[in-house]
Amino acid sequence: MNRDVVVTGIGVLSPVGTGKEDFWNALKEGRSGFKEISLFDTTRYRTNIGGEIAGFDPVEYLGKKGLRTLDRSTKLVCSAARLALDDAGLDITPENEGSIGVSVGSTFGSLKSIAEFDREGITEGPRYVNPSYFPNTVLNSPASNISIRFGIKGFNTTVSTGFCASLDAIMYASDFIRLNRADAVLAGGVEELCNETFLIFNELGYLSSSNEDSLSVDAPAVNGGLVLSEGSALCVLESEEHALKRSASILARVAGYGNSFDPSINNGGQSGLGLSRAIINALKEAGLDKNDIDLICCGVTATKSMIRTEFDLITDMFGDQTKIRSIDPSIRGSFSASGAMALSYGIGLITGTDGNHPSVDTSSSDRNIHRVMVIASDPRGNNSAVVLERFEDE
Amino acid sequence: MNDRVVITGLGVVSSIGTGKDEFWRNVLSGTSGIGPVSVFDTKDHFTHNGGEISNFDPSDHFEEQEYRLMNRSSQMALVAAKLAVSDAGLSERSLDNSNAGVSCGTTLGDAQSIELIDNSLLDNTDINKDHCYQIPTHSTPSNIASELKLNGPSFMFSTACAAGNYAVSYAYDLIRLGRADIMIAGASDPMSRIEFTGFNQFSAVAPDKCRPFDKGRKGMMLAEGAGFLVLETLDRALNRKAHIYGELIGYGLSCDAAHMTNPSVEGVAQCMINAMKDAGIRTDDVDYISAHGTGTSANDRTEVAAIKKVFGDRYRSIPVSSIKSMLGHTMGAASAIEAVTCALIINNDKIPPTINYENVDPECDIDCVPNIARDHVVNIALNNSYAFGGNNASVVFRKYTG
Repeated sequence: MNRDVVVTGIGVLSPVGTGKEDFWNALKEGRSGFKEISLFDTTRYRTNIGGEIAGFDPVEYLGKKGLRTLDRSTKLVCSAARLALDDAGLDITPENEGSIGVSVGSTFGSLKSIAEFDREGITEGPRYVNPSYFPNTVLNSPASNISIRFGIKGFNTTVSTGFCASLDAIMYASDFIRLNRADAVLAGGVEELCNETFLIFNELGYLSSSNEDSLSVDAPAVNGGLVLSEGSALCVLESEEHALKRSASILARVAGYGNSFDPSINNGGQSGLGLSRAIINALKEAGLDKNDIDLICCGVTATKSMIRTEFDLITDMFGDQTKIRSIDPSIRGSFSASGAMALSYGIGLITGTDGNHPSVDTSSSDRNIHRVMVIASDPRGNNSAVVLERFEDE
Repeated sequence: MNDRVVITGLGVVSSIGTGKDEFWRNVLSGTSGIGPVSVFDTKDHFTHNGGEISNFDPSDHFEEQEYRLMNRSSQMALVAAKLAVSDAGLSERSLDNSNAGVSCGTTLGDAQSIELIDNSLLDNTDINKDHCYQIPTHSTPSNIASELKLNGPSFMFSTACAAGNYAVSYAYDLIRLGRADIMIAGASDPMSRIEFTGFNQFSAVAPDKCRPFDKGRKGMMLAEGAGFLVLETLDRALNRKAHIYGELIGYGLSCDAAHMTNPSVEGVAQCMINAMKDAGIRTDDVDYISAHGTGTSANDRTEVAAIKKVFGDRYRSIPVSSIKSMLGHTMGAASAIEAVTCALIINNDKIPPTINYENVDPECDIDCVPNIARDHVVNIALNNSYAFGGNNASVVFRKYTG
């Protein structure tokens, strides 16, 4: 039953770049995605900066049809799906539609649609609400619209575990392939930038209050607070057999996962125990030792204390700070999408050294990167780790 | 690979009973949990009834400082999860020595907190920080895992009205893959103004009561509740001499990929086929179907057509009941509560009825166990659930016979 899982395509829309090459180049060049927010009024908040995808036009990816009632999250994730399927060269056909699935991490992706529908019910009266916006209020609406648009019938799942959501959605997808429940899965995450999410993060004290601080892209341990962003990253995961059979170009192999809750959470912080268990589990499943890991992609979390815990823990576990790559804060702010973005970045690091793709690794481009671990932690206790390795065709 | 996964604990919080014993008694006697909605004002809605749990008071279960930071969805879920753990004979504090995890489902997570914040935004009053803390959808599994000291995987599936089955079925995979030894799996949803308004605008809510499969059915009843199960490896259950309610032997998912709200016969049929294939059983082996059975015209017609398509001539000989006739539709929690019910059915060989049934609909001419519970040997039960987005999930349970 243990089929190997590989990544054959990436679709990403982020504040720093769109499409995998542009995204990788942006990270290599250190482009930040932060800018003044135009999507909603920010006067009530202490910052007016966010990782908005300026000029996002879904028509470019999806054509004009069927977009009218869709919310921004849905348009973002469907656009990412288009890019990922194209990148993987995977066509959905009547023969394969039942063996392909969708697994999306999203926690606040539908919050604006939910709250707007509710407020319209109060201000206009419940009998005057436009019912065509009601389907957007379910949290699986972005994911299900991928299935509807592309005819993907195998399964459709939405995972909502905060900052860990898209890595968890990728783990779920990978398990489905390993267990022969699917041959290929579009997996990743999405969040849109909106007033409702801003409000909640602001109230929870996760939002960085100073624009200057939030725009810093320096060392992960000292760069605290969160500035919200948006975006979607989806990977095409496939069984190795399925990918080879259709002669797909394989970007990386997914070697193992770990997932562990930390019950000792308090006040938006974790002890590091849960994350260390997640890392150990992922290494164990991959059959690897910590010394086999060439780089660790981190920074997928919110609070200052969490970032510090994470940084200290991986420094301690891996004994080498040069192995740590923190994702750009403008990527981190995309909440449930940030894990999939970090994973896409990790794939760039692996493929960047084989000459086929631009390297995103600025400081050690000569290093041969074979294996990358991507980690995510959530202030509510979730921890996830994924090990990716270079695909070597035997 | 752990091949066999069994159910050893059940917990439920519902409008017809908290705890499996009270719930089971009432579900067999055909008790209705439907009454006027009180948590928000329905005077401007077309309908006014729902399935609220009028006697669920968090102070009966928690200290104030505990529940202040927990929304109603989490409160109901945590009570149901604790009941399941205690029913399984596991001491709450012993779980931190095991690789135990939690897998939850929901439609909107904490809809009521979102609604309270919306009230503040519209009234221009201060926003209560506690409500913001409660909103993130994974609050529920985090609350359960923190309270029960679980250090295994923690998942939240937001797959609308099929969420309970998604949560239970992935818990099964997590155990099989060795990612966890014990999983607390289930779902919860509170009564929600958003859902009430939306389904009313869809003309999908009955004014008085829910009548699944009846010719005169007028729609669903919005409701709230939580259901949780303890799943573990067979070996572990045997070693600790736990009571085994039954086995989870497989499941299937499918996606209609057609329409956000209209169900499709093909998608729903494929889901049942996938589930039986995964469980390694044939259509002849199915003794009972727990229907999605919402009581809307479209759902029931589609579900019955799919059952006919999958089971052929045999469709009339399989009892198919909908406990939504009693509880209403508890959204994401529904299939989790129905999973609890299926475990009780295979354990007791009794089938709960579909109440409020009066008139035969030729399009829904199944044996819906009308109005009165029935003694019936059930070795294998199939639990169906369908959701917005065309997300379908069916889970297969089998009597444990050694």
